Amino acid sequence: MTTRAPVWAVILAAVVRKEVRQTIRDRRIMFLLIAAPLIQTILLGYAVDFDFEEIPTVVVDLDRSHDSRMHARRLLADRTFRRRPGGTSGVDAIAPLASGQAAAAIVLPPGLQSDLLARRPSQVQILLDGADPNRAMVVAGAAARYFAETTEELLRKQAAGAGLVPPPTIRAVPRALYNPTLATAPFMVSGVMTMLLLIVTTIVTAMGLSREREMGTLEQVLVTPIRPIILLLGKMVPFLVIGCVDVFLVLTAGVWIFGVPMNGPASVLVAGTLLYLSCTLGIGLLISAISKTQQQAFLAGFLYIMPAILLSGFMTPVLAMPAWLRTITYVNPVRYFVEILRANLLKGAGFSDLWWRLLALGILGSLILFVATLRFKKRVG
Amino acid sequence: MTSRLARFAYRVAAMAGKEVLHIRRDPRTLYIALAMPVVMLLLLGFGLSFDIEHAPLLIVDGDHSADSRALATALVDNGEFSLVSAADPSEVPHVLRRGQALAALVIPAGFSRELAAGRDGTVQLLVDGSDGNLARSLMNKVDAMVRVAGQRRVGFTGTPPLQVQVHTLWNPAGDSALFIVPGVTAYLLAIAAVLLTALTVSGEWERGSMEQLFASPVGRLEIVLGKLLPFLALGMLQLLLVVTLGITVFGVPIRGSLSMIALTGFFFLAGMLGQGLLISVLARNQLVATVAGALSSLLPSLMLSGMLVPIENMPRILQALTVVVPARYLVHALRTLMLKGGGFAVVAVDLLALLVFAVAILALATLRFKRRLA
Repeated sequence: MTTRAPVWAVILAAVVRKEVRQTIRDRRIMFLLIAAPLIQTILLGYAVDFDFEEIPTVVVDLDRSHDSRMHARRLLADRTFRRRPGGTSGVDAIAPLASGQAAAAIVLPPGLQSDLLARRPSQVQILLDGADPNRAMVVAGAAARYFAETTEELLRKQAAGAGLVPPPTIRAVPRALYNPTLATAPFMVSGVMTMLLLIVTTIVTAMGLSREREMGTLEQVLVTPIRPIILLLGKMVPFLVIGCVDVFLVLTAGVWIFGVPMNGPASVLVAGTLLYLSCTLGIGLLISAISKTQQQAFLAGFLYIMPAILLSGFMTPVLAMPAWLRTITYVNPVRYFVEILRANLLKGAGFSDLWWRLLALGILGSLILFVATLRFKKRVG
Repeated sequence: MTSRLARFAYRVAAMAGKEVLHIRRDPRTLYIALAMPVVMLLLLGFGLSFDIEHAPLLIVDGDHSADSRALATALVDNGEFSLVSAADPSEVPHVLRRGQALAALVIPAGFSRELAAGRDGTVQLLVDGSDGNLARSLMNKVDAMVRVAGQRRVGFTGTPPLQVQVHTLWNPAGDSALFIVPGVTAYLLAIAAVLLTALTVSGEWERGSMEQLFASPVGRLEIVLGKLLPFLALGMLQLLLVVTLGITVFGVPIRGSLSMIALTGFFFLAGMLGQGLLISVLARNQLVATVAGALSSLLPSLMLSGMLVPIENMPRILQALTVVVPARYLVHALRTLMLKGGGFAVVAVDLLALLVFAVAILALATLRFKRRLA
């Protein structure tokens, strides 16, 4: 006697086959699901770079002395600043900032050299364009660092000149672990992957189901002996596969093009991806269960997706959020997946480091799927 | 002549009236379209910040001396860091890998002996480099604080010979919201405009009601204008909401011309609506239109507009690409008008670019519209 697959498995396979055919039939949607994420990853991997270098800077040298020129040159020798023409008086320095041609202006005061020689304190002025506070912070940090070093050097010279032994100082020797060059791309690729998976799987599931409802084909399927739960499973399987393919493609591009290291065990990566996809697909399902039309499904999808992405720590650190928002991020599956990806890929974290995040994803996923199935059954029945 | 114009206006108004009816009949869409920008602005305005207060810092004190304790206290006391303690250096990788701390300061044994002998003391700073931006700012902060602690230790209190005075113009407190709000405005307008148009128009094709419209004497330009006008009004309403919220909740100053803000917003919306229309003409299917709309408008206006990531940091090719991203001009115009002040002169280039984009894409969409009629 040949062993036969149970009836539900046969039905499930049939539903999956129908869904796959329906998805593949529209070439455009396949392009959008497979090629577009890849293109976006590559584009955004190059686009996002928070490493502020060569910040356009106006130097207003009011002293025009040997010392002032030396300080200007040494300050600009660091790659942080790039000199921009313009500015012969202090007032002139503001115009390039207002027009956006420069982001910083350094004003070296008249009498700088003679003041330093006479040991009178001399005041250097730095004007920053505060419209981008992030950049302003970097400029202020770099300038402050240069002048702190210079001050120490001057103090040492003065002490040596007076025949004193210069006092000992304390130095912090910095070392960046996991990403020694502090490149942005490996960090961003994981974030972009999370975001694309969310958009692709949630929206497509939500709209696909409400489209069937709009066109009335859902009712047709429901009069067949297929149980709603099997129907749901069958509808989700193709998108689960597409999600996994996307992860594979994006990761390959990340490793080859952007040098994303894969330091951690791949098993954690796989487990995390599957749990995350169960959350995103579940949310898509839930959205379709509460919307009547595709338009509503799409709007509800975006109403969920946008805060979910921005409150995930993908662009800005979760730690920088106010406490009440940080609490919300604990129920955001995107946050856990971003953290799992980054810790796993970059820092080599394994199950022992990430188990509670995986657990959180699992709990969220099963909860979402449970509620979504209930709602769906109710709608259908 | 006037009667032709009047007929044209009448038909456009009739089309617009029909569209308004559609929108009114489905109030849920309207609510979402109006509530979304408000919710998003609140979340993003409060939530998006790069600046971490109380970053968790691990201090491994291998010296246990008065000097090492003074250094640790100096780092924790001014509120920049919150202290995570660990007994020995072998725990450092563990703690950093789990994300329990962002950086670790290791004070080696013999630290105070070196200082007492008149030699420089060296401590090691290990930073979680996975977020390069964050790592860099932590390094700078710790470096500065350690230097100050060293100067304080030797009792240096006099005026340093070279003083630096930093003036941050337009946003002295470094408030993230002032940076985020003008940027997010472009993002929110782009989403609403492109996707709503793409969806409604492709919906008409999907349901076959577009063919019925073609059977009527209404011309293609009249259809396009009539369809877009209500959404243009909706977009302007969103702009008004977002700007009002920015002023009242986040204290965004409007130092420039308010009418210029409205005008740049208007041109931007016209372009975005045209893009949505073009997508729907090409896609004729709501699902394809949505995904295409999301990928062509959302991500570029988020990532290539300078809203979060400065354009001058991008590679040359991408910088060139941003020239055709309308959000780029709106973000620049809104930041300039809101924070720095000024009128037509400061945003003339942005206005021109937005206008060119709007006219080009609307013309393209209308032309494609005709071809599909046949």
